[in-house]
Amino acid sequence: MLSRVANLVYWMARQLERAENTARIVDVNAQLVLDLQSRQAADDPRSWEPLVFVAGNDEKFFELYGKTVSERAVVEFMLFDRRNPSSVLSCVSQARENARCIRDLLAAEVWETLNTFYLKLKDDDFARYAQLGSSEYLNRVKAQIQLFYGVAESMLPRSDEWWFFQLGRYLERADNTSRILDVKYYMLLPEVAAVGTALDMIQWGSVLRSCSAFEAFRRSRRGQLNLERVVDFLVRDELFPRSILYSVAEMEQALLRIVNGDDHLIGNPASLAATTLRQELESTDSPAVISDGLHEFLDLIQKRIDEIHAAIQSTFIDYPTSRAKILA
Amino acid sequence: MSDLFHSYDHGRFYDEMFAGPGRPRPHYQRLFDRFGRMDSMSDLLERQRTADQTFVNRGVTFTVYSDTAGTEKIFPFDLIPRIVPAHEWAVLEAGLTQRMQALNLFLTDIYSEQRILKEGVVPAEMVNTSKHFRREMMGFAMPRGLFVHINGTDLIRDESGAYRVLEDNLRTPSGVSYVLENRQVMKRVFPNLLRDYRVRPVETYANDLLNLLLHLAPEHVPEPTVVLLTPGVYNSAYFEHSFLARQMGIEIVEGSDLVVENDRVYMRRSNGLAPVHVIYRRLDDDFLDPTVFRPDSLLGVPGLVGAYRKGNVALCNPIGTGVADDKAMYYYVPRMIKFYLGQDAILHNIETFLSSDPKDLSYILENLPKLVVKSVNEAGGYGMLVGPHSTAAQIAEFRAKVIANPRNYIAQPTIGLSRCPSVCDTAIEGRHIDLRPYILNGETIKIMPGGLTRVALRKGSLVVNSSQGGGSKDTWVLADDDQVQSQTQGGPEKLIV
Repeated sequence: MLSRVANLVYWMARQLERAENTARIVDVNAQLVLDLQSRQAADDPRSWEPLVFVAGNDEKFFELYGKTVSERAVVEFMLFDRRNPSSVLSCVSQARENARCIRDLLAAEVWETLNTFYLKLKDDDFARYAQLGSSEYLNRVKAQIQLFYGVAESMLPRSDEWWFFQLGRYLERADNTSRILDVKYYMLLPEVAAVGTALDMIQWGSVLRSCSAFEAFRRSRRGQLNLERVVDFLVRDELFPRSILYSVAEMEQALLRIVNGDDHLIGNPASLAATTLRQELESTDSPAVISDGLHEFLDLIQKRIDEIHAAIQSTFIDYPTSRAKILA
Repeated sequence: MSDLFHSYDHGRFYDEMFAGPGRPRPHYQRLFDRFGRMDSMSDLLERQRTADQTFVNRGVTFTVYSDTAGTEKIFPFDLIPRIVPAHEWAVLEAGLTQRMQALNLFLTDIYSEQRILKEGVVPAEMVNTSKHFRREMMGFAMPRGLFVHINGTDLIRDESGAYRVLEDNLRTPSGVSYVLENRQVMKRVFPNLLRDYRVRPVETYANDLLNLLLHLAPEHVPEPTVVLLTPGVYNSAYFEHSFLARQMGIEIVEGSDLVVENDRVYMRRSNGLAPVHVIYRRLDDDFLDPTVFRPDSLLGVPGLVGAYRKGNVALCNPIGTGVADDKAMYYYVPRMIKFYLGQDAILHNIETFLSSDPKDLSYILENLPKLVVKSVNEAGGYGMLVGPHSTAAQIAEFRAKVIANPRNYIAQPTIGLSRCPSVCDTAIEGRHIDLRPYILNGETIKIMPGGLTRVALRKGSLVVNSSQGGGSKDTWVLADDDQVQSQTQGGPEKLIV
């Protein structure tokens, strides 16, 4: 497929996945705050501040909203603010813009699903969010994106556009799952003593639920809900589709299908980088990671994912014409 | 009598539906009866809302440059179709075919021997001063001898109901996607009416267009690759570009997707460079190749014209067709038909005055308040003066422009375009319409039955362009007129052309 179009599909998938995960991150935080039980803590600005750092947008946030961090400011910033390129509305709007550019590739229903979603979302605001309650509102947002995936899944041919879609989706998901884990890390930072308490368990339960991972975790990991087991599950589970390892393995597969036996693309830097990261994750020792610093580990994963992204761009999208292979 | 048409003002214009107050023309009788069964205006408005929502959901939109808040609008659609009886269409089809043949011969001639100039039928300075005459194309052996492939000819009906040619669009005529989408919507809203009328289908257009494009490919290529070249997603017609590419199953590309190496055109794919043989370009000549035409254009493909001249890639429409749709050249089309085909024009032009002719010029300057004055190179309803609707200051401004640059202007009498009943806010009212049929010139000349009926939805407006508040209607060309005649006493009305 056209390089430009491949890039549009790839970014469309990334933006939608990011929108979904941003909704998940807000959701997990809203739940964590509720779990703090005391009303005072819930109103504490520090309860919402971590989200801004985790999403990697702290500078933009403070520039737009000043130093006071309230639930309202964070929710507006992360869900509805068009000035924040990673807000749910910005992501869905950009994904729709990309879809508009490639409408000739998409079945009419695929486009209509996204377009209808965007048209509804663009008029929403904090009042609407508060009126429905965070959990109900965010569930609706997630359901709309899931609907898009469902329609796309049943209608897109398994040609390059599908594999670039998968590539973008899983690359973004690997990154985002690492960020969701990081929310809990920030949350716990001031009170390490809380590890192992009832509250701690409730909070890990919330993290799992925000990844729709609670049931899957319970079935695959026996025993207590604790830091080590949850981290191991979300980082390294081979079967759960939102774990980092699973996402990286899917990226590797998508790249394999894109390369599709083309001699000149075998051993390209993107495929090599994905394979390396997958192998490293497989041999990661979770207890060691935690004792060495979970945040640093997650940071490193995000950096590696960035490198894969750069390799994808230079291999398939922005390659120099002069050295390109001429196809028959 | 149907309530919905009870207070319909027939007006002093030719009305497509009514021969007189309360008397529908034979081919509208069935629709008149059908609408008579609707309870009220609100029933009709409900259907109109359904149709509008369908367009929004399907993303059938165009972009308005000046509107930053919501840059997409639907092209307003009116539910009441324009119905063209079979015998009327047969005449239009013959006239449009004849016109296409003559224009193709004219372009062939202009870029080779220039016989028509040597014999003085068209003044040589008309060609030499045309902004769209491309000297680069002189002597070029055009693939299959086809110098123009697609024409969108705008037709109107005057106060007497006679069809007249308003202009040709020989560069990148747009609007055909609306014809196809309008029909889809009508199939949902009035399925029975459409079937009972035996309306000729328009759905083969994309297939006909693809066959035409394949026909143009360099002959040595067994399986040619066709692409559609668009200026990009922010172009006002992008929906149409994407729609047509999807219907034909071809790649839609932007200039940056194409590269030229050794006079061959390739598109940048994720796995390398793939050869391209035919380009359906929706980009004006000026922007095609910055090394030949406008050097500041970022939309085009450096080296494209070189590849074209070598015969390695075909362009549709070819470069240089604009010399024949210049609004001053329009004046000479009936003479071209006579010169090349030895026939009289079946479809007549509107009476036209050329500012470049001293006699015409003095007439124009004396009668500006009565005339429509058009800049010869502008489209989209821009750069024109509608005398009767203009202020003294606007008229004075145009007078100065015409005097300064006579070659750039023509004038025509203000024509009261025919009107067709249209769904307005509270009632059905007459609105002015025109018609753009699409003519394909490939192995044979093919004309889609019907075309885009544009309607000036602003009350009293004569300007049908989408950029000026226009909308569209579905155009129903009937498969035969038996059904029409069987319902009425007497034969069909005499067609005036």
